[in-house]
Amino acid sequence: MDTLTLALLATLSPLPAFFIALVFLRSQPRLAQLVALAGTVLTLVGSTGLLAQGPVEPLRFLWFSSGQINLQFGFLFDGISLVFGVAVSLITLCVMVYSLSYMAHDPSKSRYFAMLSLFAWAMLSFVYAVDLLQAFIFWELVGLASFFLIGFWYEKPEASAAARKAFLMTRIGDVGLFIGILMILPLTSNFDLPTLLNAESGLVKLAAPAALSTITLLIFMGIVGKSAQFPLHTWLPDAMEGPTPVSALLHSATMVAAGVYLMARLHPLFMAAPDTLYIILCIAAFTALLAATIAMVERDIKKVFAYSSISQLGFMLMGLAAGSLFAGVFHLITHAVFKALLFLCSGVYIHHFETNDLEEIGRRGGRRLRATTLALAIGAGALAGVPPLAGFFSKEEIFAALGHDGATLFSIAALFAAFLTAYYTARMLLLIVLPDKIEEDTQHGAQHGPAQPIAMLAPILLLALGALALGFGGTRLAAMLGVIPAHHEIASMLPAIGVVLLGILIAYIDYGRRSSARRGFISYVPALQKLFENRWYIDEFYRAVFVRLNDALSALFYSIEQRFFDAGFDGFGSSALKAGNSASRLQNGWVQIYAGATVVLIGLAALYIGLR
Amino acid sequence: MTLESYLVLGLVLFSLGLIAALSQRNLIAVLIGVELMMNAASLNFMAFNRYVIQDPAVGQVFVLIIIGLAAAEVAIFLSIILRLYRVRREIDSEHLTELKG
Repeated sequence: MDTLTLALLATLSPLPAFFIALVFLRSQPRLAQLVALAGTVLTLVGSTGLLAQGPVEPLRFLWFSSGQINLQFGFLFDGISLVFGVAVSLITLCVMVYSLSYMAHDPSKSRYFAMLSLFAWAMLSFVYAVDLLQAFIFWELVGLASFFLIGFWYEKPEASAAARKAFLMTRIGDVGLFIGILMILPLTSNFDLPTLLNAESGLVKLAAPAALSTITLLIFMGIVGKSAQFPLHTWLPDAMEGPTPVSALLHSATMVAAGVYLMARLHPLFMAAPDTLYIILCIAAFTALLAATIAMVERDIKKVFAYSSISQLGFMLMGLAAGSLFAGVFHLITHAVFKALLFLCSGVYIHHFETNDLEEIGRRGGRRLRATTLALAIGAGALAGVPPLAGFFSKEEIFAALGHDGATLFSIAALFAAFLTAYYTARMLLLIVLPDKIEEDTQHGAQHGPAQPIAMLAPILLLALGALALGFGGTRLAAMLGVIPAHHEIASMLPAIGVVLLGILIAYIDYGRRSSARRGFISYVPALQKLFENRWYIDEFYRAVFVRLNDALSALFYSIEQRFFDAGFDGFGSSALKAGNSASRLQNGWVQIYAGATVVLIGLAALYIGLR
Repeated sequence: MTLESYLVLGLVLFSLGLIAALSQRNLIAVLIGVELMMNAASLNFMAFNRYVIQDPAVGQVFVLIIIGLAAAEVAIFLSIILRLYRVRREIDSEHLTELKG
């Protein structure tokens, strides 16, 4: 097959699936899930075919041109998009297969699978976009699809509130992103990515350094929103209200990954703006630490993973901002795989025990689900960065990138965040595997079939294999991206391995031993514990400042509207009414009065004319 | 006899008619008042014709038309009053105020 067919397969096939499932198959969920699954399989075929073909010339189709400005649609096939396209379609397929079982009893299954297809279409079109404006369009569609999926159980008020929050918070960033994109237009008169990024004739040469800093900062605003960085990160933990497979998709390959992907896409631009890079490093490092500290004290299994997503996204952005495209993209892909794995595992527990609470899952016998627990352990190891699992290698690249810049403050922050990551991951695992007491198997799960149906287990095992093996694919990925990965000495890896082992050890002391207190070390500092448990009071802060400010402003405008405009128009109307009422009193129906008035008026007129 | 005396007579007649038309509550009396006003107008026409324009045809044409008009008007007015009386059993103008605003 030629490139165009493959590209159309990869990007366009979920769209008809979405349409058919939503419009024609609302009452036939079995057929709808088949259609959606077929669309995603075609996508996977297309993206794999493209990857097998390797990087080729981009395809461009003119959308319209107006004066000097040319807008186009098209496909870009370079290392980043090819590899990430496969990751997206593979993880989407895994999540869909998993959903067959997880969502089996949901009444609106057709809508669910339709929205997953919409999500896949938007995300893949975004990944392969050749034009920045095209990318922005699909970026927004990704946000829209995630809005639908987070609010999938819209009968639940928390779910629809979370969906609204996700949509609005990301929108704040998107405003900046759109302004940034528009600022590019006068400089280049098109949005063609390869042209923009060209080292000799691209934006780096055309824009003044200050303008470039502004543009990249505005684009970074969009990334902050989408990839849930401080201060716009608060939508992501709330997004856990959606179905668990949706969280798996949202937090691994799509939505939050879109931000990091955009930064990888525009990496040369960012590299030419050192001020922006410094700001990104600060925000990303702070976010990585902030989210990791919150994950330390969370009891909800999905929330732990949500905050770890935020933290890991911070890692990716640090890697990219430190100058290593390879480190960021590598961690993006490994994280996509192991985070999807972790979420799918947590879905098995949630489905079986119908609780999100870590300790309760442990007590009710979470470890009896052996295959899932094993996969969870692999995923957790990869997240913590235990060698030789996937996360270790990609994090190592980030440490290396941070280290050789001499940015010691940031590398210490990254190492500390890695330590916290290892700690909370080990804590999560220990709470499930080694609970303080374990209840007898009450056959609770008997009423909804096997605890680990094959449709759920197969994607988990596939992803677990990925988490095991993907770390060794670094060299090939680097070759695809056209960079030579730095050779790492064992000695330079030691600090990373050290902090991971330290984190696991402390978690074991806190939770693993038979005699341990089963409370985190942070609880010995009650103030910090309280701070972390309340998520640094950021939501409260926003509520106290922005929401209250907004309410006060609205109340002010409302009263102005009521007192001046509304009252003015009301007064105008009522005085017209009053005038009419009093005028109508003249019209008393008594003909002789009319005649008399006529005579008087004519007489007056005659007098006037006569005397003039 | 001068023009003024005719005009004064016309004015008196017109005023009496006007007072009758505006003050009487009985529609027949109102009709009589209107007739009086018309006759005052006719008298004025004839007086002006006699003293100002010497061609007799001008004023007489007006007066004849007014007389014909008055006859037609009386016929219509009386038939309306009769109809009104049959429907409402009264012809008091004070009570005929359905078109009040």
